[in-house]
Amino acid sequence: MARPVLEVHDLHVTFRTDGGLVPAVDGIDFAVAAGETLAIVGESGSGKSVSSAAVMGLLPGNADVTGEVLLDGRDLVGLPSDELRKVRGNDIALVFQDALSALNPYYSVGWQVAEAYRLHHGKSRDASKKEAQRQAVRMLDLVGIPDAARRANSYPHEFSGGMRQRVVIAMALVNNPKVLIADEPTTALDVTVQAQIMRLLEDVQEEFGTALVLISHDLGVVAEVADDVLVMYAGRAAERGTVRDLFHRAAHPYSLGLLGAMPRVDVPPKPRLTTIPGSPPSPGSISTGCPFQPRCAYTERVGERCITERPELTPRPGEGDHEAACHLGRRPSDA
Amino acid sequence: MPDLAWFVVRRLAAAVLVMLALSFAVYLIFYAIPADPANLACGKPCTPDRLEQARHFMQLDQSTIQQYLNFLKGIFAGRTFGDGTAAVHCNAPCFGYSFPLARPVTTLILERLPITASIALGAAVLWLIIGVSLGVVAALNRGRPLDRLSVGFALVGVASPSFLIGLLAILVFGFWLNMVPVSGYIPLTDSPVDWAWHLVTPWLVLAVLQAASYIRLTRAQMMEELNLDHITTARAKGAGEARVVLTHGLRGALVPIVTLFGLDLGGLLGGAILTEKVFSMQGLGDLLISAVAQLDVAVVVGTTLFSAFLIILANLLVDIVHGVLDPRVSHG
Amino acid sequence: MSSSVAGAVSPTRLALRRVRRDRSARAGVALVVGLIVVAAAAPLLVKLAGQDAYTYHIDLLDPARGNAPKGAIGGVSGDHWFGVEPLTGRDLFSIVVLGLRTSLFIAVVVTLITTVVGTLVGISAAYFGGWYDAVVSRLVDFLFGFPQLVFMIALGIIVPGGFPRWLLLILVLSVFGWAGLARLIRNQARSLVAREFVEAARSVGSSGWHVVTRELLPNLLGPVLVVATMAVPGYIGAEAALSFLGVGVPPPTPSLGRSISDSIAWVYTGADPWFLVFPGAALFLAVLGFTLLGDSVRDAFDVRLRRAN
Repeated sequence: MARPVLEVHDLHVTFRTDGGLVPAVDGIDFAVAAGETLAIVGESGSGKSVSSAAVMGLLPGNADVTGEVLLDGRDLVGLPSDELRKVRGNDIALVFQDALSALNPYYSVGWQVAEAYRLHHGKSRDASKKEAQRQAVRMLDLVGIPDAARRANSYPHEFSGGMRQRVVIAMALVNNPKVLIADEPTTALDVTVQAQIMRLLEDVQEEFGTALVLISHDLGVVAEVADDVLVMYAGRAAERGTVRDLFHRAAHPYSLGLLGAMPRVDVPPKPRLTTIPGSPPSPGSISTGCPFQPRCAYTERVGERCITERPELTPRPGEGDHEAACHLGRRPSDA
Repeated sequence: MPDLAWFVVRRLAAAVLVMLALSFAVYLIFYAIPADPANLACGKPCTPDRLEQARHFMQLDQSTIQQYLNFLKGIFAGRTFGDGTAAVHCNAPCFGYSFPLARPVTTLILERLPITASIALGAAVLWLIIGVSLGVVAALNRGRPLDRLSVGFALVGVASPSFLIGLLAILVFGFWLNMVPVSGYIPLTDSPVDWAWHLVTPWLVLAVLQAASYIRLTRAQMMEELNLDHITTARAKGAGEARVVLTHGLRGALVPIVTLFGLDLGGLLGGAILTEKVFSMQGLGDLLISAVAQLDVAVVVGTTLFSAFLIILANLLVDIVHGVLDPRVSHG
Repeated sequence: MSSSVAGAVSPTRLALRRVRRDRSARAGVALVVGLIVVAAAAPLLVKLAGQDAYTYHIDLLDPARGNAPKGAIGGVSGDHWFGVEPLTGRDLFSIVVLGLRTSLFIAVVVTLITTVVGTLVGISAAYFGGWYDAVVSRLVDFLFGFPQLVFMIALGIIVPGGFPRWLLLILVLSVFGWAGLARLIRNQARSLVAREFVEAARSVGSSGWHVVTRELLPNLLGPVLVVATMAVPGYIGAEAALSFLGVGVPPPTPSLGRSISDSIAWVYTGADPWFLVFPGAALFLAVLGFTLLGDSVRDAFDVRLRRAN
C-alpha cells in the first residue's frame, strides 16, 4: 500500500449527554491511500457514521474526540475551527446518504456547487464568482448531469434522486479533495441508480486519484469497489483486512454473520440466507468481555474468556494486515 | 420566469375574488343597519317628505344590490349624488361619501393614512430588526442565559396588551422622566425631526411588543433549521459559522417570518387602533371609532373595506414573496 | 429515543409527565388555577370584602384633587383592598375581580365554541373532501381577509342597543375564531386520512363515524388542545382591547379593559396612577398565565404548529 493520505489512530468519540458519558467510537484505526478505497462496514449504531463525522470535525459540541486524524501527516484533531474550515470541503469532502436533505432547497444546484468552490478560492470576488459558476457547470457536466449549463439554474426538488446524488458528488469534488468520504451514498436510491452512482464514484476516483472512504452496510457494493475493509461493531473494530481477506477468510463471527446475510452469486447457493440473532448493544452498555458475545454462536467453544476479557485485534492469515478481534484462534468455519 | 409569472396571476385573480366577496358581505351587513343614515341628514324637524328627499339624494331608496353596484361603479368611475346645483360629486376612486362630514370617504382616508402609516412602518422596521436578531441569538445560545433572557422578554411582550404597555411608557417616559412627547402627530413634511420625535414612544412600544412574537418564531424556526442535514453540508463544504447561520440557516427561516411580517403590517396599516387611541393620534383607527360614534355608515364601510383591502393586498404580497423565496412553491 | 418503556405510556401521560418537570409550565398551571379560582369565586370574594362594584363612596374622594381617592396607593385600606375608583369611589377590588371574571368567562366560552366548531369543520372537510372541502377552505380564506378588530368595532354601529354586549362579543369573537383552528385541523387530518392505519380501518369496513372518532380524533387531540390553550390569552386580550376602545362590555358591568381606558386621564395627570396598576396587573397576569400554560402544553405534546395563515 502506498503512503496513506488519511490515517486515523486510536480514535475515540464520547458524547456528553444528560444520561452521562456515552462512548460511540472506542478506539479505531484505519488508513487509506490515494486512489484506494476503504470500506467501513457495520450495522447502524456501530459508530461508522460518527467516525466519519469525527474525521471531518462535524460532530456537535457535546462530543469529545481524542486520538489522531492525520491528513498528509497533519493532525486535524484539536485544530482551531478556522483552520479546520479550510480543510473541510477542500482536502476532505463528504457525500451524504440522503441527497435531498443534504442539498439546500432554497438555492440552485449550480449556486451550491459554486459556493463550495468559492469558499476555498475567494480573494478577488467578482472574477472568482464567474469562475466559480464555470467550475460548477464543469463539475456538474463531469458527474453526468445532462445539459449542465442550463440545469445548474434548477433547484434540488426539480431533480431525480440519482441526479441529486450526482449534484452532491459534484459539490464534494469541485475542489479536487484528497479524501472523499461517502456515507451510504446509494442507500436512498433505486437499485439501478445505485450501480450508476457507484460507477461514477469509481470513475472520478480514477480520474482524480482520490482516496475514498466508503461507509456502507451493503457488502455487495463493498465487494465490488473496496480495496480494504474495516468491520465495525459497537464502536470498535471487529475485523480488518483486504477485501479478499474478508470475503474469503473472514475470521470474526460477526463478519461471517454479515456475509451469511448477503446473497452471493460467486459461491454455491446455500439453502437459505442466515441472520444474526439479537441486535447490536446500545453504546456504553458493555463493560467487560467481547461486545459481540451475547449474539455469538461460538461463545461456548471459547468459554468464559468471551465474557471476562475483551478481545484485541490480532493478526490472522491473509494477504496483508488481516486482523480480527476474536478469542477464537482458528477460523470459525474450520472448526 | 414564466412559472413565477403564472403563479402571480393566479394569486392576483384569487385576491380580486376574495375582495369582491368581502366588499359585498360588508355592504350587506352594514346596510341592514336599523338606524337610517338619512334620518341624521334630514335635520329637524324631519318631515316624511324631507326624509324621502334625503333618502333619494343619498341613493338609499334603491335596492341593496343596486346600492352595492353603485358603490362598485363609484370606485372606478366616481359618483354624483343629486343633480343640479345641489349635486355632490365624489371622484373616482370613490369609497362612499360622508354626508355628516360632507367629504368623500377617500379623502378622509387619505388624510388619516399618513399618520397610521408613520406609526406602522416605523415600528415595523424596528420590530423586525429586534425580533429577528434576538431570535437568532437565542437559537444559537439555546439554554444559556442569553437565550433565557430573550425568551423571558418575548414572553412578557406576548403577554402584555399593547395599550397597557403604551400607557405605562407614557407614564414613565413622558410624565415622570419628561423625556418624550406624550401625544400628538407632526407631519413629516413640517419637520422630520419633530415627526420622528413624536413617534419614538409609539414606535418603541409597538416594536417591543410585536418583536416578542418574532423572537419566538425566529428562535423556533432557527433551531429547527439548524438541525437540518443541509446545514451539515454547508459546514462540510467549509463554510464559516456566520455563513452557516445566516446564508443557510436564516434563509430557510425567512419564509414564515416574512409571512407573519406581511400580515402584521397589513393589519396595522388598516388602523393601528389601540396605539392611536393611547397616543391620541388621529389615524385611520380614530376615524373609524368616531364614525361609529356618529353613526356615519359610509365612513365605517369605507374604512372597513380599506383595511380589508390592505390585508388582502398583504396576503397577496406575502404569497408572491413566498413564491420568490421558496423555489418549491413557484417551480412546479 | 424510543425505548419500549416510552412506547407503553399514553401520549397524554407522557405530556403530563413533561409538564410536571418543566418549571415555567408549573408556574403557568399555578397561575391559571389561581386565576380561575379567583374568577369563579369573585362574587364570594367581593362579599367577603364586604363590598360591591356599584356603590359610590364619594366620601373617600378628595374634591381638591379632582376627586382622586384620598390617601396613599389609590386609597387602599382595610375596607378597600385595592383602593377605590377615582371620580366614583367604587371599590376597585370588586371591580378587578369581577372584571377578571367577565374576561375569563368570555375567553373560555369563545375558546370552547371555536374549538368545537373548528375541530368539527376541519375534520369533516378533510374526511369528505370534494366541494365541501373547497367551500370550507374558501370561507376560511375569506375570514382571514377580514380586518377583525376593525370589523368588531364597526359592528357597534348596526347592533341594536338592547342586544346584550357580552353575547355580541362572544358571537363576534367566535365567528372569526374558528377559522384558524379549522384550517390547521383540516391539514393535519388530511395527512392522517392518507395514512395507512386510516385506510386499514376503512378497508375492514369501519363506518365513517368510527374512523373519525376512533382513528382521527385521538390523533388530533394534541394539536387541538394546544391551539385551544394558546387561544385563551388571545381572547382575553381581544375582549380587553374592545372594552378599552369602548365597544366591549358596557358600564356598569366591571371590565378590566374599560377600567384601564378610564384610567388614562388619571395616569396622565398623575392624580391616581394606581387606578391603572391594579386592573393592568390583573390583565397582564391573566394573559401571562394562559400564555405560559399554552407554551407548556405545546412543548408537552411536542406539536409542531405551522401558523395557520
